[in-house]
Amino acid sequence: MADSGAPPVAIVLNSGEGTVSVIDTVTRQVIRTEPAYREPSHWALTPDRQRLLVADASGNALFIYDPSTGAPMGHKRIADPYQIGYTPNNRYFVVNALRLDFVDVYDGADFSLVKRFKPGRWPSHLDFSPDSRWSFNSMQNSDTLCSFDLVNMTQRWSVKVGTTPAGVLWLNGRVIVCLMGEGGIVEVDPIRGGITHFQKTGDGAHNIFLDERRHILYVSNRGPGQTSLTALDPVTLQPVRTYPIPGGPDDIAIDPEGNIWIAQRFAESVAVLDPQTGEYSTIPVGRSPHGIFLSSMLRQQGQVTAERLL
Amino acid sequence: MSLDRLFSIIAGYMEQWVVVPVLFRFHWMAWDDLAFDWCLICVYGLFAVFVTYAVCLPLEYWRPVERWPNKKAVAVDVFYTLLNRVGVVPIVTFVLFYQAQTWTTGFLVERGYIPPTLESLVPFLLDRPLLTFLIYALILDCADYWRHRLSHSFRWWYALHALHHAQRQMSFWSDDRNHLLDDTISFLWFFVIGLIIGIPPLQFPLLVLGLKFVESLSHANIRLSFGPLEWLFVSPRFHRFHHGLRAAGRHSCNYASVFPVWDILFRTADFRDEYLPTGDAKAPEALATGGYMAQQATGLKLFWQALGKSWASLGIGRAA
Repeated sequence: MADSGAPPVAIVLNSGEGTVSVIDTVTRQVIRTEPAYREPSHWALTPDRQRLLVADASGNALFIYDPSTGAPMGHKRIADPYQIGYTPNNRYFVVNALRLDFVDVYDGADFSLVKRFKPGRWPSHLDFSPDSRWSFNSMQNSDTLCSFDLVNMTQRWSVKVGTTPAGVLWLNGRVIVCLMGEGGIVEVDPIRGGITHFQKTGDGAHNIFLDERRHILYVSNRGPGQTSLTALDPVTLQPVRTYPIPGGPDDIAIDPEGNIWIAQRFAESVAVLDPQTGEYSTIPVGRSPHGIFLSSMLRQQGQVTAERLL
Repeated sequence: MSLDRLFSIIAGYMEQWVVVPVLFRFHWMAWDDLAFDWCLICVYGLFAVFVTYAVCLPLEYWRPVERWPNKKAVAVDVFYTLLNRVGVVPIVTFVLFYQAQTWTTGFLVERGYIPPTLESLVPFLLDRPLLTFLIYALILDCADYWRHRLSHSFRWWYALHALHHAQRQMSFWSDDRNHLLDDTISFLWFFVIGLIIGIPPLQFPLLVLGLKFVESLSHANIRLSFGPLEWLFVSPRFHRFHHGLRAAGRHSCNYASVFPVWDILFRTADFRDEYLPTGDAKAPEALATGGYMAQQATGLKLFWQALGKSWASLGIGRAA
């Protein structure tokens, strides 16, 4: 980890204007705006936690930032990275190339291309089994979830899970998938790919995150109409509270005080929500904020893979 | 609140309350991310039309080059403008461009080549977004100069472009008055440029509108030149010379859309201080005063005829 004298920051990826906003999380002011090429969307932390990799899909690049300050550290050419993530054992770096319909598996050390899958239309989100053997990738425009064996480099299965699958999360031996077109989440058996449960959360259910203590599951619902964040019990998957959050909530991150930082895609803002009171304030950022990283995550235990801790 | 931010927030409301409900209803939520861009295009397009109208209309009343007994021929140009700047054309173009670029990029990536952006070719530009924007604007304007100049050089191409030149009541509404096939050729032209240097970044949508405003203003029925800055931006006087009766077809000049530097550089500039009547004396009347469908049909008919003649003379002909 780099010098900790710098103020804690939130690094917000503005997909609509090719920039990254760096926010001082104490003053809650944007302190810098850094350039990317075109469309920064999601992030991954390198295994040594020294570099934050930001996927710039239509810019065909990975931008590299200091995760503790947001200072730019260069970039690397790579085809169409949308959501990205290291396998928990750090051996592979998996890229969902949404526009090009590829799932690319790179060597985690030297970024050489190991395998290219073409499993369906618009690969969007991904997660891994904790043993790094399997990846689970949603195909947003094929309505499928695909699983790949990263030992044999083969596709294990592809199943229809519902309309417009997006966020994916491995949770206690199950795979949870958000369905944007059906307003909820499905639980999928990671062995055979069968659907075992559907839970309504809100229309446009988009992405899913687990809090650090693994006590609450959050699902962002992007509409139509009123948009929201739903908190669920991670064991029963039952909703425990719904927070109305306008402006199309997308990715979230949780700070050490328990506040939830939410990218509001259609409102050019980040909302900071106190989950106890349900009140939130907003911070103006760039156009179409998408992924969000908090430098405080560097102090958390566990392996950060596809934008979350295992 | 900046204008940029205001427009994005309006587009956000449009996305959340108008577009997403339609996408959700028809199971098209996969397009949710891109739909925000569509909303932005519509909001900026509407603003561009409004500003152009608010600025140019008083100027056309104040210092008109010509006074017309009626403006029936202008009405169809209003339709072209709304269709091209706010309506379905920018959305369709956006989707087609996205699909075509995606397919081509995938084709190249599978063969080991990752298409560049201008900033990846010239890394110096990465943290200089304004300079990058200006360079993109100059490159695209230069490409447009040659597209325009070539459209006056080939018989079959000018048969399409004649629709743009046939207007005798040229006003600020006339900029988007083009044949659909001519627009398609432009689309392909800029698609290739986009593949070579990448798609321009969208950090400065208001500057994009500024450039489009210069194009609209240059068609306005206004007695106006930019004096000592005439060489910097295309003025109504400069572009009117291009639309003059004697400039229709291959004997034309002043092809540039925004920056006259291309006409100066390639020796086609004419800075004479004259305000000429516009139109194309050889164009069928339907191209000048017909309705939208009549103009499109006539343009298509002329195109086929010219193509036949060009083919007969081994493919290359000159505009009449």
